[in-house]
Amino acid sequence: MRQLAWLLAGVLWLTSCGPREPVVKIGFAGPLTGDQAAHGLDLLRGAQLALEEAQRQGPILPGHRVELVAMDDQRSPTQAVSVAKKFVADPDVMAVIGHLNSSCTMPASAVYHTARLLELSPVSSNPQISRQGFETFYRICATDDVQGPAAAQFLMDQLQARRIFLIDDMTTYGRGLANEFARAVQEHRGQLLGHEGIPQGEKDFAPLLTKIKSLAPEAIYFAGMYPEGALLIKQRYELQVPAIFMGGDGLFEEALVQLATPQAAEGVYLTTLGGDIAGVPAAQGFVRAYEAKYGAVGAYSAYAYEAMNIVLWAIKTAGQKDRAAVLAAMKHLKEYSGILGVHTFNEQGDTRNRIIGIFTVRNGRFTFVTQVVK
Amino acid sequence: MTWYHTLLQHLINGLALGAVYALIALGYTMVYGILQLINFAHGEVFMLGAYFGLSALLLGQVTGPLPGVWCWWVTGMMLLAILGCSLTGCAIERLAYRPLRRAPKLSLLITAIGMSFVLQNVVMLTYGAQDRHIPSVMPTIRWTVGGASVTAMQVVLVCSGLVVMLALHLFIRRTRVGWAMQATAQDPVAARLMGIPVDRIIALTFALGSALAAVGGVLFGLYYATVNFHDGYLMGLKAFTAAVLGGIGNIPGAMLGGTLLGLLESVGAGYLSSQWKNVFAFVILVLLLICRPRGLLGERVVDRD
Repeated sequence: MRQLAWLLAGVLWLTSCGPREPVVKIGFAGPLTGDQAAHGLDLLRGAQLALEEAQRQGPILPGHRVELVAMDDQRSPTQAVSVAKKFVADPDVMAVIGHLNSSCTMPASAVYHTARLLELSPVSSNPQISRQGFETFYRICATDDVQGPAAAQFLMDQLQARRIFLIDDMTTYGRGLANEFARAVQEHRGQLLGHEGIPQGEKDFAPLLTKIKSLAPEAIYFAGMYPEGALLIKQRYELQVPAIFMGGDGLFEEALVQLATPQAAEGVYLTTLGGDIAGVPAAQGFVRAYEAKYGAVGAYSAYAYEAMNIVLWAIKTAGQKDRAAVLAAMKHLKEYSGILGVHTFNEQGDTRNRIIGIFTVRNGRFTFVTQVVK
Repeated sequence: MTWYHTLLQHLINGLALGAVYALIALGYTMVYGILQLINFAHGEVFMLGAYFGLSALLLGQVTGPLPGVWCWWVTGMMLLAILGCSLTGCAIERLAYRPLRRAPKLSLLITAIGMSFVLQNVVMLTYGAQDRHIPSVMPTIRWTVGGASVTAMQVVLVCSGLVVMLALHLFIRRTRVGWAMQATAQDPVAARLMGIPVDRIIALTFALGSALAAVGGVLFGLYYATVNFHDGYLMGLKAFTAAVLGGIGNIPGAMLGGTLLGLLESVGAGYLSSQWKNVFAFVILVLLLICRPRGLLGERVVDRD
């Protein structure tokens, strides 16, 4: 027994004394548990894939090991802040990819800003986040002041639906998107029959949908995420509400169709914060690699993949393990061509590559309809 | 749609929701009647019911299209859920409440809250923290009745609620075990002197209440197609409200309270605003308790001081 103890002590001593390679950490924050975990996992896998591919091509920062550290913000703004504080407190973290929800990105971005830590948001689309004027904040997706009007125009011009009922999920993202949508509807002289909020986590929408049915709108627009969206779609079908159903990018998740049942989801429209990557030749390598590793490409995976590649570019360009240098490198990024398009960031940190894709559910699958470029 | 079609639709929606509330409320009321304990873990037993139903589906190797008649799948889900929840209910009583039978009521209440957290976390660790999708075993069948839409699921919900409640009523009123339960609720000491095995009757009450919650849980899971480990919390709280609304300890009261709460919530959310749906339920409770402090049908609890 005593020999074993000595042996163990010896092994511990040996391992602790070996030369330790310095590590550079890239943070990832998103909901990895809770109802939106599927979205979070899509993002995380995209980021992981980008890092693995880059590492296969050679060292990112010579003499350093690059690691992805994922943390769960549970889609809760308070959790997001505590995750942000953990990243900030770790001197090895050079950049953060995240968060998913605008309600999380908003408060967390202030934490990253005070610590001069680069944050690259893949899909948080509320325009207010970049208007805070934090030079640490960048994002690679289009924002809701483009997404809302694009959806409103599509509904009114292409689908001839002018009587619209608006629902949002009372979050930073949902309310923000709904307001942009409502403004566009009024500008185009559409008729907004009502605007109601639903709490996240709620499951019974029959009373609201019955009310909507009695108003007989031509379309229902929902600004929110897929768990509630799926139930709205399902219960709308059960209540035989004939209106067209359209939603924002929060619905862009394969699980939506399964949760809502394919027959109820058929013909639902939604917008995305970028074009259709299936039509981009440069993205096909990503699609094949992702499918080989994880199966069907998650809706948000490409955004996290792109974000990770840009972060790696910034670290490479900085050439040293230093937050300020990484941040400074981002300023030099111009016409970066990725799988979602060519990115140049404006002074607020938003990409100038502003494309809104419009998809519909056909035979239980998301099918690309058209895209709007701003 | 004219106004009465809309009202009819709200009432149908409310009835389906009310049936679930009533099924859970019965468990609260039965346990309260016999132990004067608010079993806060009961909402979690309901949530477990949905998870047991899901497990039955997974055991039956169901991922793709569902073979066979859907009635059998639903029956299988129900049986496993009833069995699982009854055993869980008995275990909770045996492990957490029986050792504290003579302790102050407040200690029991805290134990109940603790039990609720334990169950939530056990489910979270075994099934994961994500929302679990419950495959729709039932085809979506819709009818139009008097201008309102009714689904097969809603009919199943209300009918199974009615059948279960009727069975419970007959069991308590017409069988010897049911009489023993009533006697224990009235006076456990006298019941014991009369040769009634009080401990066993209490365990049975927990099993029965949990079985009802299991039925509610399976129906809830099928109706909303997803289940999460914290779903039991709000549903439990509302069902408790329903029990108090009808008069806690009173079995017909729980049925009435549950149905009424479902209807009020639907009508309130439909005509006022869905943002206030949850607030509405509790405002009604407060108003009603100001007017009738003992609930609609009155409490059926013997004063034991």
